[in-house]
Amino acid sequence: MNAIAIAESRMLLRNRLVSGCAILLPLALGLILYASRDTHKPGGTIAGMQTVLMIAMGTYVTATTTLAARRQTLFLKRMRGAAVSDKAIITGLLLPVVAVNLVQIGVVFGILAATDTPANPLLLAVAVLLAEAMFTGLALATAGFTNSPEHAQYTTAPVFLATAAASFWSQAPGLGGPIAVKRALPGGAVAELVSTAWNGGSLASVPVLLAASLGWAIAGVLAARTYFRWEPRR
Amino acid sequence: MQDPVIEARGVSFAYRAGSGPGSGSAKTPHVAVRDVDLAVRRGEIYALLGTNGAGKTTTLEVLEGHRAATSGTIRVLGGDPADRRRIRPRLGIMLQDSGLAAELSVRESVALAGAVSGRRDDVDKLLDRVGISHRSRTRVAQLSGGEKRRVDFAMAVWGGPELVFLDEPTTGLDPAARDALWTVVDELKADGVTFLLTTHYLEEAEKHADRVGLMHAGSIRRQGTLADLTEGGLSTIRFVPPGALDDIPIPLAGTQNGLAVIETTDAQRDVAALLAWAAGHGHPLRRLTVRESGLDDIFRALGHEAPGHEAPGHEAPSHEGANL
Repeated sequence: MNAIAIAESRMLLRNRLVSGCAILLPLALGLILYASRDTHKPGGTIAGMQTVLMIAMGTYVTATTTLAARRQTLFLKRMRGAAVSDKAIITGLLLPVVAVNLVQIGVVFGILAATDTPANPLLLAVAVLLAEAMFTGLALATAGFTNSPEHAQYTTAPVFLATAAASFWSQAPGLGGPIAVKRALPGGAVAELVSTAWNGGSLASVPVLLAASLGWAIAGVLAARTYFRWEPRR
Repeated sequence: MQDPVIEARGVSFAYRAGSGPGSGSAKTPHVAVRDVDLAVRRGEIYALLGTNGAGKTTTLEVLEGHRAATSGTIRVLGGDPADRRRIRPRLGIMLQDSGLAAELSVRESVALAGAVSGRRDDVDKLLDRVGISHRSRTRVAQLSGGEKRRVDFAMAVWGGPELVFLDEPTTGLDPAARDALWTVVDELKADGVTFLLTTHYLEEAEKHADRVGLMHAGSIRRQGTLADLTEGGLSTIRFVPPGALDDIPIPLAGTQNGLAVIETTDAQRDVAALLAWAAGHGHPLRRLTVRESGLDDIFRALGHEAPGHEAPGHEAPSHEGANL
């Protein structure tokens, strides 16, 4: 797995288009949200939206694109001919993408924490990891019907837009709507969980938010198991 | 058979409707491999030949464990070829399509393949052995097709596996590179490595393979040594007709491009008779050639066989491993 992860890191850094999408765009998204925040409100609101958007772009879109590219060039097939398990191949391929994304979130959260420190860092970490799990699973599933890296621009749009919209609806002030629906949408509960972890206060809603976030993470993994393909459809 | 490294009995494989090579947009499953029996001995080179779309690559991929057979049984090195923990470290696989990462260098690509192979080797020595060390630091994207095949080959033979699958290993290579690859194959064979390969170059199979299997329409129609397969085939004698041929002692099959053609099952006897006749009449026999029956004759005949047809006089592979 380590050898695959190291090779994937090299490939990620050497492909300018992919590295730009994986490194610069999520950071830019996070920083734009930071710059446009209401400085009179607690940082959790913006952290919730940052988390969903940055993971959607940095992990979900990048991982889908990467997996589609590796399958298209038959790299996945070659790896499956070796003496490593499917889990090791997938972990090796996705580890660099997720690691880069976690560093990005760490940087953006660090900037935000300079003026407003998170109240519950442990819960914040759990929320981020649950979001990573959900988006990683969805990336594997989406890659199953993404024929090429170029095709990923279209196939990732629905999940990216839906989760971004859910996080905005969940966190943007002044937007009404039934709270249960907001929490049930992918990205809604996790954005609220990040916000709650950052702002502190009552933890009464945390079990529900954790359950919803965990549910989406499990749904992502199940979708991955159902839809992911190792070889191109001919 | 003693110690078969590969043992396949009644193996069939069908691509699901709408998937797989040759299936097009068909709504019914495409049967690519039909009832294949195959046994490969330790230390031999077995070449699988066939017409385009005959099922060679699919057969190889089923035997490699890349695809699960629809029916039949397969034992590779005494186990399931898809067993990545116990069997795969003993296998080397060279796919027909590259599967190389364009962004990695040659050295990095081979080192990665080595790291996931479960075997150890020296990457620089191996690159030198397959003749690609001068491109060691070059990214795969910048390699020619032939150079990529050499990288593929290096990955397959990394660490000296017991059994190597090569799918059209010399396609795209220039003659010198082909010779160099075969030199390595022959060296590894001398060390006891077993090879199952496909190729479109019949002369390579004739020269290097211990046994040959001829595939058509998904099934192995004939298999055996070159001598087995060509036994009873017609040799051809050609020469420029020296004028009158009325009293020639051997009947002509016809003329071709201005050459008289004789087909015979006993070339030595008929050439001797022909030379005696020419000497006796003072005829010069210009451009005299004798060509024995070869794989290409059998191969061409395959293309005219209907699916499921078994040629008379040739024993079809049986579950007992006939011709092995």
